Amino acid sequence: MEICYGNIFNIQRFSVHDGPGARTTVFFKGCNLHCVWCHNPESIPSKAVIEFYPQKCIGCGECFKVCTHKVHLIAPDGDHLIDRQACEGCLTCTDTCYAGALAPVGRKVTAEYVVKQIETDIPYYQSSGGGVTFSGGEAMLQIEFLSKLLTECRKKGIHTAVDTAGNVPREYFEKILPVTDLFLFDVKAADSEVHKMLTGVHNERILSNLYWLADQGARIFVRIPFVPSRNGSEMEAIADILSEIKPELAEVIPYHKLGAAKYAALGLIDQCHDESTPSDEEVEEVLTILKNAGVNARKS
Amino acid sequence: MLDTSKVVLSPLYRDRINGLHEDKLKINDIKMKLIGHLNFDDWGFVYYPDFKFEARPNHPSGIVCGYRAIGEHIRRFMHEMPKYVNVNSALGGAWIKPITDYVNIGIAPEDDVPKELKECWHKYHTYPGFAGMNHCAGDINIGLELGWGGLLKKLRYYRELNNPADPAFYDGEEDVVLGMQEWIAGVSKEARRMAAEETDPDKHQNLIEIAEMNEWLIENPPRTLREACQFIAHFQTLDRTYYVGGALDQLDEKLRPYYERDVAAGILTDDMAVWYIASVFFNDTHYSQIAGLTPDGSRDLTSRMSFIILDAMHAIKIPVNIAIRVHDGVNKELLRRSLEYTVEDGTGVDYSCNIGIEQGYKKNGYPEGLARTRIKVGCNWCCVCGHEYPLQDVTRANMGFALYWALQDIRNESERSTARLFELFCKHTQIIVDSIKQGYDRHYEIMGRNRPEVVYNLFMYGPVERGLNCSEGGVDILNFNIDGVALATVADSFAAIEQRIEKEGRITWDQMFEALDANYEGYENIRLMMKNINRFGSPDSLAEDWAYKIRDFYVWACKHEGTPKHHLMIIPGLFSHGTVAELGARLPATPNGRKNYEPISHSNEPDPGFAAGINTFAPTLKANAVAQAQPGFGNSAPLHLDIDTDMLSKEGGIDALIALIHTHNHMGGTLINLNCLTEKKLLEAHEDPSKHPDLLVRVTGYSAFFASLSKDYRQQIIDRFLSKKY
Repeated sequence: MEICYGNIFNIQRFSVHDGPGARTTVFFKGCNLHCVWCHNPESIPSKAVIEFYPQKCIGCGECFKVCTHKVHLIAPDGDHLIDRQACEGCLTCTDTCYAGALAPVGRKVTAEYVVKQIETDIPYYQSSGGGVTFSGGEAMLQIEFLSKLLTECRKKGIHTAVDTAGNVPREYFEKILPVTDLFLFDVKAADSEVHKMLTGVHNERILSNLYWLADQGARIFVRIPFVPSRNGSEMEAIADILSEIKPELAEVIPYHKLGAAKYAALGLIDQCHDESTPSDEEVEEVLTILKNAGVNARKS
Repeated sequence: MLDTSKVVLSPLYRDRINGLHEDKLKINDIKMKLIGHLNFDDWGFVYYPDFKFEARPNHPSGIVCGYRAIGEHIRRFMHEMPKYVNVNSALGGAWIKPITDYVNIGIAPEDDVPKELKECWHKYHTYPGFAGMNHCAGDINIGLELGWGGLLKKLRYYRELNNPADPAFYDGEEDVVLGMQEWIAGVSKEARRMAAEETDPDKHQNLIEIAEMNEWLIENPPRTLREACQFIAHFQTLDRTYYVGGALDQLDEKLRPYYERDVAAGILTDDMAVWYIASVFFNDTHYSQIAGLTPDGSRDLTSRMSFIILDAMHAIKIPVNIAIRVHDGVNKELLRRSLEYTVEDGTGVDYSCNIGIEQGYKKNGYPEGLARTRIKVGCNWCCVCGHEYPLQDVTRANMGFALYWALQDIRNESERSTARLFELFCKHTQIIVDSIKQGYDRHYEIMGRNRPEVVYNLFMYGPVERGLNCSEGGVDILNFNIDGVALATVADSFAAIEQRIEKEGRITWDQMFEALDANYEGYENIRLMMKNINRFGSPDSLAEDWAYKIRDFYVWACKHEGTPKHHLMIIPGLFSHGTVAELGARLPATPNGRKNYEPISHSNEPDPGFAAGINTFAPTLKANAVAQAQPGFGNSAPLHLDIDTDMLSKEGGIDALIALIHTHNHMGGTLINLNCLTEKKLLEAHEDPSKHPDLLVRVTGYSAFFASLSKDYRQQIIDRFLSKKY
């Protein structure tokens, strides 16, 4: 296999909610959306970043010694501070942090390495109807790397899925469509202005890609993050879109707070810190809206 | 067409089973208050703290030993012990505690092993297996077909036929059977006494039925499913009383003829059957298997009885030790139902894998048809019921101590390397294994005349016919198992030294020894450096390579030759029960960052928290490691999975788990012990066990009330569960 590099931050095996069967989900670094509810904020920057868990720090001082960018600082009160603007993502400090207080997010890997990790679970894919899902971040931003992985997995008979927010040039979809068995396509809002408010970008290109994929006969599961106070009012309009697209499945993903700790570790502000998880009744209402529009929908 | 539907309980049987559940919690609560924790399964006994029993030693050393003395004590014990009858149960009787709590049944000093062997075991903290009891299994059909009266006749027939010079074998065995007949008569009498005082007509009738059934069973074999269940309950009582045996049989298949006959005769409904089986479970938690292949491999054994057993387990919601033998053609509904019950409330089974067990056993030179009948009847172990004396689960070859002594050797050498350390480790591992083999030779010679298997002898093919204890030629198949422990502890230690000292040069050997000598006090950074490598279980890790290398040597050491004197067959295993805390309790700090006396790793499993970097924890990551590091000769090295119920309760969750079970089977795994838990409930129960007295967990191959476990054991479950989330 010719050498092809990409940036990923996690390989999650036995993932049962990223497409059919038991799957390996590979999380790519870098995203061109900034969703206010993002539960993988570590995925947004394309370069490697460090997470800091002060409760694990044993004060050995090794990170201060090895960092040439003066990222690690001591506050007057003795606290360990991090200057994230100065960080270049070299990860030298995380290599010396045996306590695990500094954890790297993101690693440059070869496609060969990733395929090797994926293929160890082939027996599970075969017995469950599963496969691999490339997620992120936005996997399609590393289109060459993604294309290589999809092609190699296809050669090995592994079912392939791409989880995307769709905000990429049409050519990217054209490139991977022949080697992708399933698209998990996020629809976060129907109204473009609302979409921009929630994600930082308008959605014309995204919806255009979604319609195009549907026209091509691609197999599509639409995924709808549901944060009642943010996009709850969009559900009727989303249902209208989906009634035209007719995806095989629409999955409603209720907002959860599993990403909250990551914001603190990354020194970021969680814009949804006061958001609560929607009730079963609220989720059921959304499902009813979708089903009334003729969409095959379920809760994820 | 097999009826796979769930049994709908009528109010009468639902209330009775609920009553048994409540009574079990009360009995358990009393036991916890009087005894403290129990690090085993529930065991089913009803404790009578005021019961007294007179021991009558027959050896100058003050012990009781040999067929006659043991038989006499068992007979008297069964006669005198309280007769427990529960009005909600379909069956009478319960055991009260092992007879060994009242009588010192031991090995005569002149038959003990040499002092040097004991010193060796002490040096390496070896559990030698010498003088180990039980851990074999009878064929319950022998008893079901003959009844206690028939067993007595059989003993007398072979006593006369063989006319041995020393009839001690038959004297002892006869006393055991006579003791059982007296016990059953006592249970019957107690049921009649209670019936006389019972005003509720349903309960009165039930007690009369228990009394009449037991009167019949004193002499006669069971005729109905209820009588067969009563026979099994009495067997469990006897088996537990004498040396805490726990092996039953292929329960669905052994009970199927009774079920089918009773249904055809119109005297049995499915909800009655569920009540009978729930009553067996209330009586005790003996290990049994359901499903699996017929000996010729032509079909799955799943029957309506298999589903009734599952439903009984689910209805009574107490610890129950049932395994499903998984194979490609295992009934899909049975497998799915078992998982649904596990997810719902933890009343699940464990999964014995046919490929690893059967193909592995074949490698010892046995035919495949025989291997298919080697079923799971112990917490982790299997046996050809009635035909094999397998003696598993009684040894622990602690490879942590082989490493410790290898480190002591190498610190005095000028050339230090992991290659040299491995040579020394192999030398010490071989010493441990050889010492266990020597003990087994002695075991083979002396067990019959000291602590014979007076219970299992009755239920095996050969001992009664030959007048020989099953350990010394009573049965045709003799296997002796050696269980290695601390695989990951040792593999991670080797990998840490290779990576940090040899490859990276971050510390020196001397610095490591200083840190180990100081129990890492003042060397926390070195401890974390050694601990936070890619540990066994991480893909492509140095530790994974070391684990295979260590496993290969250990298996070779066990397998390349039998015992030195009698050339007895050894089968290697990798299993530690739940005793990882106890096994680590004397082991000094190890190079994997483990401090003095902390637990060692379990079985052939990676340590909790092994997954790191971009490869985060997943059940398959652990399952792959366990499957690939199997000892490979048909003894189980179990996979423990503690999975968040939230994940599985979503659509597709059960399907994924089914795929995982089948795949682990195909990858060569041998046993899957599964817990489905929620973090909230688990942490609450750990903090205050009384808050969730009925929380069921699978510790290793057995299930238990979480509240009954000691803090160390509870911590193991917590560590396993939480390490997957963070």
